[in-house]
Amino acid sequence: MARLRRQDPRSDEALVAACNEGDSREAAEAFEALYRRHKDYVLRVALRFVPDTDTALDVLQDTFTYLLRRFPPTGEGIVLSAKLTTLLYPIAKNTAITALRKSGRFPAAEDVAPDDLPGPETGDTTDIRGVLANLPGGQREVLGLRFVDDLSLQEIADVLSIPLGTVKSRLHLGIAKLKSSDFAKNLDNE
Amino acid sequence: MSDQDINNEQLDEGLIRALKAADEAPAVITANVDRALLDMSRRHFASRRTGWKRHGGWALAASVALVAVLAVQVIGPASDDGETLYADVNGSGGIDIADVFALARAGQTGVTQADLDAFAMRVVSLDAGGAR
Repeated sequence: MARLRRQDPRSDEALVAACNEGDSREAAEAFEALYRRHKDYVLRVALRFVPDTDTALDVLQDTFTYLLRRFPPTGEGIVLSAKLTTLLYPIAKNTAITALRKSGRFPAAEDVAPDDLPGPETGDTTDIRGVLANLPGGQREVLGLRFVDDLSLQEIADVLSIPLGTVKSRLHLGIAKLKSSDFAKNLDNE
Repeated sequence: MSDQDINNEQLDEGLIRALKAADEAPAVITANVDRALLDMSRRHFASRRTGWKRHGGWALAASVALVAVLAVQVIGPASDDGETLYADVNGSGGIDIADVFALARAGQTGVTQADLDAFAMRVVSLDAGGAR
C-alpha cells in the first residue's frame, strides 16, 4: 500500500529559511517539502514551453537542482520577497528554453522575446489548445500566469521582467482573441 | 480602456476552467524522479553539521571541562575498586555508564584505565542487579 505522506504545514518562507540555515536533516526535510508542494507546478510550466513529458521531466529536475544549489553550502541562500512560484517560474521557463535550444527546436539567440516562443502544433480553434496555439507566445504566457497561476499584473511584470504596461496590453489582446474565438462562441452556445 | 479596466479585465468562468484544464499536466512524476531529486538534496545538505553537533559541541566541551575540575576537587584520588570514582560525573541525576564515559573524556590526571574499568564494572553490576 502506498505510504501516505502528510503535507508539511510550514509556509514556503519557513521552509526556505530552514533550507538556508537548518542543519543537514532540517534542510533536507524542508527542501523535500518544497519539492513535493511545487513539483506539479514546475512540470506544468515546463509543458507550456516544451513539447513532450520527457523533456518536461528534465526541466523539472534541472529547475529543482538549480534551486537546491542556491542554498548553502554551494549558494548564498534565498531571500524570499514574493511567492516561491514567482521564483520558480522564470527558472523553469529559462531551463525549458535551454532544453529546446539544445534539441534544436528554438533559435540560439541570446535575447529571445516571449512572443517568439513556439506553441503546440495545432490549429483547431474550436479547441482551447488550438486557440492558445494561435496566440503570440507573449499573450499566451500572460493569460496563463493571470488566469491559471492567479498572479497579479504586477507579479506577472516582475516574473517576466517586463513593464507593467506591456503585461496589460498583452493581457488585453489575449483576452480579446480568446473571447472572439470559435471555442468561446461554442462555449456561449452550450 | 483605462488602466483600471485592464487590471480588472476578466474572463468567463467557462474560459478560465478551459484554460486550467488545458494546462493540466499528466501524472508522469514517478517515485524514481522524486527519489533522484531528494537523494541529491540529502547529499547537498549532508555537509552541514547536525543540530546537536552545531549546538552541542560547545556544551559538551564546557561540561567536560567542568567535570574535570569537579573530579579533581570532589572525587579526589582514584582507588582501585572504583568506589571513589562512583559519582554522578555528568550531572544527569543518576549514575550510569555515561558517567564512565564522561570521566574518561575528562582525562583527569590520576584516573587510570583500571579505575575506569572498575567504575564501569560497578555500574554494570548494579544495573544488572537493579533489573532483577
